[in-house]
Amino acid sequence: MEDNKYIGKSTVRIDGKVKVSGAAEFIDDLDFGPALLFAAIVESKVAHAVINKIDTSEAERVPGVVKIVTGKDFPFRFGLYMHDRFIFAQDRVRFVGEQIGAVIARDAATALKAARLVKVDYTELPAIFNVEQALAKDANLIHPELRHYKHVPWFFPKSDTNIAHLRKVRKGDVEKGFKDADFIFEDTYTVPRYAHCAIEVHGAVGWYDNSNRLTVWTASQSPYTQRNLFAEALAPLGLSHKDIRVVTPFIGGGFGGKAGVSMEILGAALATAVKGRPVKVLWSRAQEFYNTYQRQGLTARIKVGLKKDGTIIAMDNILNWDAGAYVEYGANVVNAAGLSASGPYNIPNVSIDSVCIYTNLPPGGPYRGFGYSEFLFGLESHLNEVAKKMKIDPVELRRKNAIREGDILNYGGKMNANGLLEAIDKVAKEIEWGKKETSSDPNKAIGKGIALFWKAPAMPPNASSSAFLKFNEDGSINILISGMEIGQGLLTAMAQIAAEVLTVPPEKIRVETPDTDRNPYEWQTVGSHVTWGCGRAVESAAIDAREQIFDLVERALGKDRKTLYLENESVKSKTDINFSLKLRDFIIAGIQKSDGSYRGGPILGRGMFMPEFTSALSDPETSQGGHPNVHYTVGASAVKIEVDRQTGKVKIPKVVLAVDVGKALNPDLINGQITGGLLQGIATVLYEDMRFNEKGKLINANFTDYKIPTSMDVPDEIVPIIIEVPQSDGPLGARGVGEHTMIPCAPMIANAVDDALGIRIKSMPITAEKIALSFKHS
Amino acid sequence: MRQEIKFKLNGEAIPLEVNPNEVLLEVLRDRLGAKSPKCGCDKGDCGTCTVMINGKTVRSCLVLAIEVDGQEVITLEGLMDSGLTPLQKSFINHNSFQCGFCAPGMILSATELLAKNQKPNKHEIQEALSGNLCRCTGYTPIIDAITDLTK
Amino acid sequence: MPIIHKFDYLKPKSLGKALTILAQSKNVAILAGGTDLVDMIKDNVVQPDVVVDIKGLDALNQIKFENDTLFIGAGVTFSDLIESKIIKEKYPVIFEIAKTVASVGIRNRATVVGNICSAVPCLDSGPLLSAYEASVTIAGSKGTRNIPAAEWFIAPRKTALQKGELVTGVSLPYPKVKHAGCWVKLGRYTGEDLAQVNLLILAMIDGTFRISFGAVAPIPVRAKKVEKLLNGQTITPSLVEKAKQLIEEEIKPITDVRATKEYRMHMAKVMFERGLDTAISRLNGSGLKYGTSVI
Repeated sequence: MEDNKYIGKSTVRIDGKVKVSGAAEFIDDLDFGPALLFAAIVESKVAHAVINKIDTSEAERVPGVVKIVTGKDFPFRFGLYMHDRFIFAQDRVRFVGEQIGAVIARDAATALKAARLVKVDYTELPAIFNVEQALAKDANLIHPELRHYKHVPWFFPKSDTNIAHLRKVRKGDVEKGFKDADFIFEDTYTVPRYAHCAIEVHGAVGWYDNSNRLTVWTASQSPYTQRNLFAEALAPLGLSHKDIRVVTPFIGGGFGGKAGVSMEILGAALATAVKGRPVKVLWSRAQEFYNTYQRQGLTARIKVGLKKDGTIIAMDNILNWDAGAYVEYGANVVNAAGLSASGPYNIPNVSIDSVCIYTNLPPGGPYRGFGYSEFLFGLESHLNEVAKKMKIDPVELRRKNAIREGDILNYGGKMNANGLLEAIDKVAKEIEWGKKETSSDPNKAIGKGIALFWKAPAMPPNASSSAFLKFNEDGSINILISGMEIGQGLLTAMAQIAAEVLTVPPEKIRVETPDTDRNPYEWQTVGSHVTWGCGRAVESAAIDAREQIFDLVERALGKDRKTLYLENESVKSKTDINFSLKLRDFIIAGIQKSDGSYRGGPILGRGMFMPEFTSALSDPETSQGGHPNVHYTVGASAVKIEVDRQTGKVKIPKVVLAVDVGKALNPDLINGQITGGLLQGIATVLYEDMRFNEKGKLINANFTDYKIPTSMDVPDEIVPIIIEVPQSDGPLGARGVGEHTMIPCAPMIANAVDDALGIRIKSMPITAEKIALSFKHS
Repeated sequence: MRQEIKFKLNGEAIPLEVNPNEVLLEVLRDRLGAKSPKCGCDKGDCGTCTVMINGKTVRSCLVLAIEVDGQEVITLEGLMDSGLTPLQKSFINHNSFQCGFCAPGMILSATELLAKNQKPNKHEIQEALSGNLCRCTGYTPIIDAITDLTK
Repeated sequence: MPIIHKFDYLKPKSLGKALTILAQSKNVAILAGGTDLVDMIKDNVVQPDVVVDIKGLDALNQIKFENDTLFIGAGVTFSDLIESKIIKEKYPVIFEIAKTVASVGIRNRATVVGNICSAVPCLDSGPLLSAYEASVTIAGSKGTRNIPAAEWFIAPRKTALQKGELVTGVSLPYPKVKHAGCWVKLGRYTGEDLAQVNLLILAMIDGTFRISFGAVAPIPVRAKKVEKLLNGQTITPSLVEKAKQLIEEEIKPITDVRATKEYRMHMAKVMFERGLDTAISRLNGSGLKYGTSVI
């Protein structure tokens, strides 16, 4: 293993200073001058209804109102994976809070005041708030036009039902598997909806100038995908991609919620309604809760068959997803989860039905984990129950069945190299698995729980990354990428990769947030894949620049390029110890010859990466034959809890998480994902509790009553463990690790509660109240 | 009816005409260009709007601008007259922040704590920061950076 | 989002001036900390014509201990309570209560008097007033009057305050015998939360108790039946069990988005048992340090 100078070091973030000094600009910080207009949204107050009439007359009379638009002004469908969504509701509304129209005014107060004066007349339709209602034989159809919606070829909607997509996995022969099993265990687990709660709300500013050029500034993880969807959604306006520019400043957290296109379409569309002036749409915290992507709800029926020695030989999972009113993105969550819902285990016979179901609730979409957190709650809880009933140690059961490199995946592909067994061993050791502990407080019980996790990036088979790398006169570097800094430290990791290749230290490398005019293409910053994908592109760009440098030195100075190498920002030669040419001496200016003429000129590196081995095409009935996932990142996590039997309150003295990252480009950044992801995951199981009333309205759309953890709620001790089994096609061996740290939390806490109190709770959240009352009644 | 107020913002005397219904956070951001306090929830639950009035942290989304007449207001920008503070440098070295949106409010709360108590223990640090929500970091690297200063 | 509603703002320099304004204007809101009022104006729950800022009334910004009575002025914030020496010495359980209110940035503005004027069922100052048998001092154009805590809270968001009146402070008589207390507040986690149940127990050296629950009825409840059961008795486990049963007759918790009535009733009993034990231990010189939660 070569000695890395910049890789593997906990380099200080290159965006640390700008954030700590308060200089970092987010969408609401940008100034657009006195011409800026403000839009307030008219929203549906009912969950499911036909819109009879929208009366804007009183609103129009409010002084300061510039324009009012409704659905008829933008009758265009759009969506990422399926075109089932509208910019503004058309003939009907499908969830409480859905946008029906917008009032644009010179100031925000006027826009808000006028929006309240818009009167909408509805005829209510029966609303559906859970999957059972949606699947009932005579259920009302939420999307009667489903058969006409364009979608990616790997989705299978069922016309004339509320099933937007059905992903079926059939591996081996489950029927035979269950026949051969010595034990069969079946149970159902439920997971409700969750909110991302990024501390910054969504926002967009659109400006369609008088030269027909549309610029949209957005708080987004995905500038290029947004540009593409804006172009598609506004196609009737005839805008070419080159004339649409998306600029994304720093964002205050994404977690998937700022991926795809949700409210940002309003910035783009409304801009076209007030040509020549910028218009801002900024969400309130309440809108952030009820009208951005939510994490889907899931009812999972898990059935597993085992031999008496604990080998799992069959698994049959039915996953019914409450996916909301529009599933243009959420259907891929259902898809991705469906392919992997058997967990990181080697099971010969697997059947999975992952069903994406329309309901009259807010649209579901991408949320850190992309379906894996949701199904893992049931899976890892269930395996613990199985272990208990079969009197096998839960860690042993997992070790025995853990997936290894080369094992066949659910869709027929092969599992990549991974450190799952190493993760299990290290985590079990760190938590002192097997050592039963008692609390010094007679009211409290100590329990331990473990869960394994895995996840692959869920993306189209042609999701690509690209990078430009340009030197400056002083030898410093600007890297242009469209991978977004969403807090994970991408800019720093990319700087470290380029630093390693070009021997220019990260402090001399600048990486900025994207602008689609200047920065080259990146599909989206999601799926924990940009360290891998964008990293490969940056690595290529750096190598490209390096090769150009060697070519030039050879051409201009006659040095054999095979002997050249870079060190300390200089070109050196293995065969000429005295040769050392500083990059800054020629990197822009070129190399001067003895006759005074120059060779070379500015060195620009270019890199692009697209995995050419993945394909989403497979047998629709079995999912066999495709290669939809590029690779899996795996790991294990365990927690020790102290739970008060009377109050149900859970304290966490210790939690440990081990994840195989291939190569830790920056250990600090990975630890940041571990501490952050663990707390976010712990919050979903212990505190966050989304409540809809009987009319489908979200009643706790605020931080007062949707509780996300404070600094007082952190576990006492967090032990991050980094495992490195290299990813052969990763930049310097690295794999992604953003989402994974959240995925095991819910089941491992549920398992720890069972260990401590002997009660198995099969629905989330597992609040203090639920624990106390369950224990009281047990 | 607009009223004239006079207050200090980051050491600078500001005469300003305000309507009673203007909120301090909006006046700071939109009229005076102090963008570091943010609007995260508009109800005082998230702490991103935190500024100091006469040395004490407040939620500026719940303060009317007119209330600061005769008072001294400090935002994150105002802490840096002599460059980054030791606290800020510690945050940078510990890679404490990720998206950075909670940073201004968090830094002001931590600054207030250290002005009152130079050697806070972990519990005291957690308590001082409990009104500043962070979704990215899990708080641990923020607490560690502050603890480092107590050594 | 900007405040749409327009109003006038006045900051009187004297109590007399303040009362004149209150007498003249029909639709007045009094502003101290603003952590409730500004939020309500933003939500259009309250739409005053005039907002009267009382932070300019210096006399109301005091904590005084005189004639065996603690006076907390209308401008005193929860942070002031936490920093007060006299409170740490004489009324340490008030320090304990104040520490559980929201977070530092809110406590630096929010006032006790503002809290009792809001009269929301989950208020933290309710049991404080109730257990210490405090009185609320009210100034009006006709002069000053004092209302005992038991008559102050009438219904959720409704107090005995009349139009044109201003609360200038609350007075907490220092119990005539040595006492200790324990405050217990139920939240959904360790971080800031509005109480789902709260409880203040005072244990007196003469064997009597004062017990007040909040957030489990429309207004704070002085658990007189439970007090009667315990007063003067040796506190045994079976007596405590009886007391826990009796709590069911004292409080009427509801189910809302924060907790079910079943959990609230369950926790009221658990909190009572642990709070009682701690109050008694503190009275005897041992027991958890003030500021440590028993749940």
